[in-house]
Amino acid sequence: MATSSAKEASFSPYEDNGGTNLAIAGQDYCVIASDTRQSRGYNINTRFAPKTFKLSDKTVLSTAGCQPDGNMVVTRIKQHMESYKHAHNKEMSTPAVGQLLSTMLYMKRFFPYYSFNILGGLDKEGKGCIYSYDAIGSAERVPCLASGSAAALVQPFLDNQVRNCNQVGKPRIMAASPVSHLSLDQAIKITKDAFTSATERDIYTGDNLQIFIVTRDGVEEQVHPLKRD
Amino acid sequence: MFLTRSEYDRGVNTFSPEGRLFQVEYAIEAIKLGSTAIGIRTSQGVLLAVEKRVTSSLLEADSIEKILEIDSHLGCAMSGLTADSRTMVDHARVEAQNHHFTYDEKISTKSVTQAVCDLALRFGEGAQGEKSIMSRPFGVALLIAGFDDDVKEGDGAQLYHTDPSGTFVSYKAKAIGAGSEGAQTELEQEYYDGMSLQEAETLALKVLKQVMEEKLSATNIQVASVTSEQGFQVYSKEKLQTIVDAL
Amino acid sequence: MLSEIVAQYSNDAALTAGSAHTGSSGLLGRDFAKMTNDLIFDLPNTQDPAEFLNTYTDVDSSADNQIKFAHGTTTLGFKYDDGVVICTDSRASQGSVIASQSVKKVIEINPYLLGTMAGGAADCQFWERELGRRCRLYELRNKERISVAAASKLLGNMVYSYKGMGLSMGTMISGWDKMGPSLFYVDNDGTRLRGDLFSVGSGSTFAYGILDSAYDAGLQKNDAIELGRRAIYHAAHRDAFSGGSVRVYHINEDGWEFISLTDFDDLHWDYTDRANRAT
Repeated sequence: MATSSAKEASFSPYEDNGGTNLAIAGQDYCVIASDTRQSRGYNINTRFAPKTFKLSDKTVLSTAGCQPDGNMVVTRIKQHMESYKHAHNKEMSTPAVGQLLSTMLYMKRFFPYYSFNILGGLDKEGKGCIYSYDAIGSAERVPCLASGSAAALVQPFLDNQVRNCNQVGKPRIMAASPVSHLSLDQAIKITKDAFTSATERDIYTGDNLQIFIVTRDGVEEQVHPLKRD
Repeated sequence: MFLTRSEYDRGVNTFSPEGRLFQVEYAIEAIKLGSTAIGIRTSQGVLLAVEKRVTSSLLEADSIEKILEIDSHLGCAMSGLTADSRTMVDHARVEAQNHHFTYDEKISTKSVTQAVCDLALRFGEGAQGEKSIMSRPFGVALLIAGFDDDVKEGDGAQLYHTDPSGTFVSYKAKAIGAGSEGAQTELEQEYYDGMSLQEAETLALKVLKQVMEEKLSATNIQVASVTSEQGFQVYSKEKLQTIVDAL
Repeated sequence: MLSEIVAQYSNDAALTAGSAHTGSSGLLGRDFAKMTNDLIFDLPNTQDPAEFLNTYTDVDSSADNQIKFAHGTTTLGFKYDDGVVICTDSRASQGSVIASQSVKKVIEINPYLLGTMAGGAADCQFWERELGRRCRLYELRNKERISVAAASKLLGNMVYSYKGMGLSMGTMISGWDKMGPSLFYVDNDGTRLRGDLFSVGSGSTFAYGILDSAYDAGLQKNDAIELGRRAIYHAAHRDAFSGGSVRVYHINEDGWEFISLTDFDDLHWDYTDRANRAT
């Protein structure tokens, strides 16, 4: 084979499988939710492909974007948490997983994972905490977050309803503050509204809504139907 | 021991028929030649105290360092071939910083001790793809003191003893080095649960005074503490002087 | 995992997260890893990894590629007689979407060193975190803090070894050491400049306009802080990639001090009111 004229077959490792995820952190809880539709272009592959995974009793990870990449992120985080448990004799805290995920994503700086990750859970004080990431591990702790295909639809809604942005007469929750002031019930209602609305306007979001509620008592999972059109 | 050693004490990776690794045992012996070091754990924190052998009036006593910082919440005292400890302490420091980099939290005392002991086993031939980095075992024992922050209230203070075989054990109070036998007996008699850090300080110095050949003074000892509020702190010359005077 | 850490002992940057991965055969032939103490990055299995990144990621913040990183900024720093003022905005954009209005673009490397963040957010965060690790080890080994000059050189050398690979970082490293206050500009090309006044990022031209018009080494502390804040405000007003809130830090011989975080909207009405009152 002549090396000088070596040709590379088109290398196209990324595909957007769509899907939206969201998280809201409160004083003593964290809600992490995602839809379960998985699509490829204009085809819906399946109506139930969970994107959100429980990592421990305090931590939940949600990934949207390229499904295989997201899957690999979850697998590797789980592996690492397991070996951490044996090496250090304790469960990894959510902030520690948050930093680990950032480093892990950056290790793929030159061949990024195409996944939009949200890490949610409780921190060491028992407060809700959410970490937001870009594809290569730029991380930030935020009170609420939407990412994935309907992020641009859902995030402004959360800013308004959770952080009271641009609401006259209501105290604004600074984006830099770690938690919202909502009760758990309010947060769940807002989550459901966000997804029913996003389903109406985003073709990649729909079918089912998976909600993970992290409290001191552990992680509770709920599944609710969304429109299937 | 001395009758059967002749054939089997030259290779670091050859067991004797009785199942002993003589070179490792000799390395443990080397620690008994070192200066005495004492560690005492209390619920308030850990106290480390070492003897410095100032062998000449021309020697700059400050240049002898037998208590070193590993991280802001971790310190260690040593006895034996102290030059060997440089490698171990540097390894511990790198481990502590790498842990902080990856997990954004302080490394626990046990984990850093484990890391040091893993290094202590890397003598002789390499195994499992690991490169061997030393031809002989380390000739130094460490007392690693730390304060862990994410444990139950009152359980933060930690004291570990490591030896050249890579074994590590947690202690309430431990003495190593030349005067260790007498010092350990004394510690066993005097130590009690619920001791304050102040009392530990007095006890450590009292024991050190008994086992040291030279007269104990502010120049020939080094003392440090690890507490929750202050982290690792080496005592200043002035502070040492007041304690020695009060003794 | 511990054995892996020990296995890499001879190089002190054995980052555990990377070493768990095996797909780094792409490193062969290019000595990236060697140059930065064996950080193990995964590379795409193509002839030219940099070209791969150009195709799939928005190396330039205006490009419309599949994977969009967090970008865009106005940051500034200047030295004056009493110390150093560091100001940043807090917006991160991914393409035309505002990814965050609350990014912390000042990175606290240690109590005496600050780094700022412009360009790729992840690049700045990761390498300045790595810089923090190395500075701390330097301090433990040498029993004194690293100088600002040495710290900035460390960072410059780290990113220089990845030159051409698409890193995006424009940072100012500032602090107080034995020589007094210091300010350095370091970027992904390997540029490293000592200076009294820098502004970095998409809104830097606007910030320079304000800064140059009123900068004076003899400024009072309050005036210096206000100058920095106003420069970021005007940059955020004219540059679409900048906004959110203005974050201000001040450095003197006791180390850095956080001064303020003010929402752009609050500043806007405050400045407008002041202007109205003046007329």
